[in-house]
Amino acid sequence: MKKSAKIFFLLLTGILSIGRLAAQGGETSGGLDQTMRSSGRIYVVVAVMLTILAGLIIYLIRLDRKITRLEKE
Amino acid sequence: MYRSWWKILSVVLLVYTFTAGLLLKVPHLPALEETIRNLYFHVCMWFAMMILFTVSVINGIKYLRTFNIRYDIISRQYATTGIVLGLLGYATGAIWMSYTWADPNNPAFQSFGALAREPKLIGTAVALLIYFAYLVLRDSIADMDKRARISAVYNIFAYAMLFPSIWIVPRLLPSLHPGQEGNPAMNFKDVDSSMRVVFYPAVIGWTLLGVWITTIKIRIGLLKEKKWQ
Amino acid sequence: MTTGSQNEYKKLTTKFSVIRSLTQIWTLFKKDLLLEIRQQYSFYGILLYIGATIFVLFLGIDEPEEKVWNGLFWVIQLFICINAVAKSFLQESRGRMLYFYSIASPGNFVLAKLLFNTLLMVVMSLLSLLLFSLFLGYPVVRTGPFVGLVLLGGWSLSLIFTFLAAIAARAQQNAAIMAVLGFPLIVPQLILLMKISNATFNPLLSLHASNILLLGALDVLVILLAVILFPFLWKD
Repeated sequence: MKKSAKIFFLLLTGILSIGRLAAQGGETSGGLDQTMRSSGRIYVVVAVMLTILAGLIIYLIRLDRKITRLEKE
Repeated sequence: MYRSWWKILSVVLLVYTFTAGLLLKVPHLPALEETIRNLYFHVCMWFAMMILFTVSVINGIKYLRTFNIRYDIISRQYATTGIVLGLLGYATGAIWMSYTWADPNNPAFQSFGALAREPKLIGTAVALLIYFAYLVLRDSIADMDKRARISAVYNIFAYAMLFPSIWIVPRLLPSLHPGQEGNPAMNFKDVDSSMRVVFYPAVIGWTLLGVWITTIKIRIGLLKEKKWQ
Repeated sequence: MTTGSQNEYKKLTTKFSVIRSLTQIWTLFKKDLLLEIRQQYSFYGILLYIGATIFVLFLGIDEPEEKVWNGLFWVIQLFICINAVAKSFLQESRGRMLYFYSIASPGNFVLAKLLFNTLLMVVMSLLSLLLFSLFLGYPVVRTGPFVGLVLLGGWSLSLIFTFLAAIAARAQQNAAIMAVLGFPLIVPQLILLMKISNATFNPLLSLHASNILLLGALDVLVILLAVILFPFLWKD
């Protein structure tokens, strides 16, 4: 639990800080911020979907390892 | 438990969620634009989390009625899966709001504190903290029966206190979250009927996925239990 | 005729059992009170805790503004409550618990504890309010409602933490786990209390009766849950 929680918080802070960094230069400086805002901000949806997928996969990998360990015992 | 029609249903519903959720027409709202499609992903995480926590509490009650250790394992696993979905909801919510209503370009949202003050975040943070505390409490007790009993009691008590907080807190604090009057996405004044066609199946699909993961964990837990006996 | 007398009999027995449980609660309550009076060190310990915290606050910040005063007041209340209530179950030794188990019902036992901690917390709340007003200024405009709120708030806090103390004691843990378990649960009540008491600082704001009723309803909920759930903690 502890490890996965750590991973999630890392992910969360990483995403937040990227958003913040991208926004620091203001609207015009572009980069990630501009991409996220283009095409009706559809990329935000993409980012959300990828986060959920990544989270679930990380969780499954953890579960997988746990079972492997259990089998070895 | 081992019959699998609902697993297929889960997959079908999720496939439907992903395709219909991305392709169907959505109502056009000024600040949200296409991000309203996150309703099918981000909001569903919260719904699934609450449903899983509810199942956890129900199993806690069942444990206290029967003192069968099996229910304790079930209760615990539902709680952990709920936490995972809650964390995912948190992360996705942070992304979504960073590019919509809590725009970082807006000086009012420069600090993390301004974002964390959001009442819906507080409500869910409370829920997550309760279940983290639940896990801490569990780990602190060595005796198995005692652990099961005490943590079931805490689970029920905390859950009963959580509901008032989810209802009270949003009504006390100002919020920018969409769906300010009452709980978001519960009243569908702001959600078009065309979205409901995808939203309800999405909630069911995600919840079933959570249940699926949990049943795997329950099976592991039961196997472990059997081995140690 | 027979059914009438049977009903009469039933009524009488229920009346009798109510009276019996009330006397049981009263006896247990008196025992806690006596113990507190005998072992004065714990009582003075909490007093010292209140005094020291408020004095430190006074040295750090003098005369804070209303909102800060309000926030600090309730947070200090929370910590006082944890300290005052924590020992209520921890002090009972295993043997003594076994004795209580044989003479009292769990519901009565927990009700007596709730009653005693309510009294303790009400006294402590009033004391800390007095010290706060002496050291940190007194921005409250409407004293009557505020004192009422302090009593109600102290009561709410003591109820929740009494039950959590029972859990912590059964888990054989110290007061630290009580704080971990309790903080998420107390958030709504604290926010509610701060929100309502904010209105007593400003004569223009009005107190909402519905919020106060909500607080009372929450307290009733906690008492009910404690009575229902405590028997499961108590068995061994």
